[in-house]
Amino acid sequence: MMTDTGEQTRLQAIDWAIATHDPDFSDWDGFARWLEADPRHTTAYDQALAAGAQVAELSAEVRPARPQAANDEDRIAHRSIVRRRWLGGALAASLLAVIAIPAWQMRPQPYSVTTAMGERETVDLPDGSRIVMNGGTTLALDRRYPRYARLETGEALFEVRHNAADPFVVETGDVQLVDAGTAFNVARVDGSLDVAVSEGVVIVNPKAENVRLPAGRRASITGVHAAIIVSDVPVDQVAGWRSGRLSFSGTSLAHVAAALERGLGARIAVDPSIAARPFSGVVQIAGRDSAAVASIAPVLGTRAVKRGDGWELVGDNAQP
Amino acid sequence: MSRQGLEAVLIAQREPLLRFLRARGAGDGAEDILQELWLRLVNLDTGPVADPRSYLFRAANNVMHDRYRSAQRSRQRDADWIEAQGLSGEASDAPQPDRELIARATLAQAEAVLEAEGARVLQVFRLFRIEGVGQRQIAQDLGVSLSAVEKDLQKAYRALMRWRETLDAD
Repeated sequence: MMTDTGEQTRLQAIDWAIATHDPDFSDWDGFARWLEADPRHTTAYDQALAAGAQVAELSAEVRPARPQAANDEDRIAHRSIVRRRWLGGALAASLLAVIAIPAWQMRPQPYSVTTAMGERETVDLPDGSRIVMNGGTTLALDRRYPRYARLETGEALFEVRHNAADPFVVETGDVQLVDAGTAFNVARVDGSLDVAVSEGVVIVNPKAENVRLPAGRRASITGVHAAIIVSDVPVDQVAGWRSGRLSFSGTSLAHVAAALERGLGARIAVDPSIAARPFSGVVQIAGRDSAAVASIAPVLGTRAVKRGDGWELVGDNAQP
Repeated sequence: MSRQGLEAVLIAQREPLLRFLRARGAGDGAEDILQELWLRLVNLDTGPVADPRSYLFRAANNVMHDRYRSAQRSRQRDADWIEAQGLSGEASDAPQPDRELIARATLAQAEAVLEAEGARVLQVFRLFRIEGVGQRQIAQDLGVSLSAVEKDLQKAYRALMRWRETLDAD
């Protein structure tokens, strides 16, 4: 049972969570005094804040995947308000950026490399390590720290020159990968991560779970709670995209489409009703381009419909 | 406000900020956190800042909330990891749960919880927490009083906290 003081603290915490989130809030001294009144207040406040943040994050995660339907009544109802608040939104976004800046940005001389969909690029690092980037990929690197890379989005194969005294570190999301003599492929699509090792060993999150992935193993880090699931992967299938041969095993169509986007350079949406459907099999994309989507779609048990300058994969029997 | 301006405000507000960080649970780490925060801010092209004092406090508040969130996340990950290991010995080959599907289902549930509190509660919460609109502006746009907006948000947060407790209990 919650005591009365506990309940009171919780209600106050909610009020402060609401007040401080408001873009107009300025009574930080009043807030500090409330926090100082009881050391339990700060946790109660974080709990209230987290309850609101969770829904906002889920929305951010889910909304972009939806097709931008013009008949979305909800969207239209809010459009005028949203547009009027454009400036306020920009301010909120800049505040959000403060939260999101990861620790590595404190280090000097960062730069980033981005490939367009369908484009490839190889980054040769000064230590002899090599990063082969698939299409639609952004890497953040740092000249001061050549043994460090951050995969912002997309997919890349890391062929790392091993040095036990100075391990190569790849960060992505809040996951850290440390090499122990290695070639490994990392794919980051939305928030989920797939790491597959073809040579040597990779250590996932050495300071937390400390999962050792030897060659022939892969780790999927997915889900709201970021569980790590380890499974086997044939070594010759790691980074199959380099040879234009994409193999999938129980992969959702949403992620298959993302892999095709990176390889073919075509924009490919998936009808939400089939986006979660799993696909297992191999798709050849070597030497093919955007037009190939139409002939690949049936392999996935779908049909490709032209939408603007991209495609949408719909169920076999769906109306266009 | 330029970076120099922001820096001047930070120097002037150093003590209140440290006090705030300590009240937010930073303890002896308050100095380090403020230093780290400052390094982040100088590396960030912030553009004009309307209320620099509020901006700095908000940034400090965000850092502390991030710390809380990542501590929660790693606790959760440890639990999930043990669970995954426990199921099938060394590793689990279970099919991966589809992240988007779970997110969609969880969001639908949260929205249902909010809608149960009243149709406007969901709308007000969305505008406030997802679109980033202030309470005063929401009241104006919806043609209701400021205190009505406040009450809707209180209902929304209370309901979400209750809902999260039942999720954790499962």
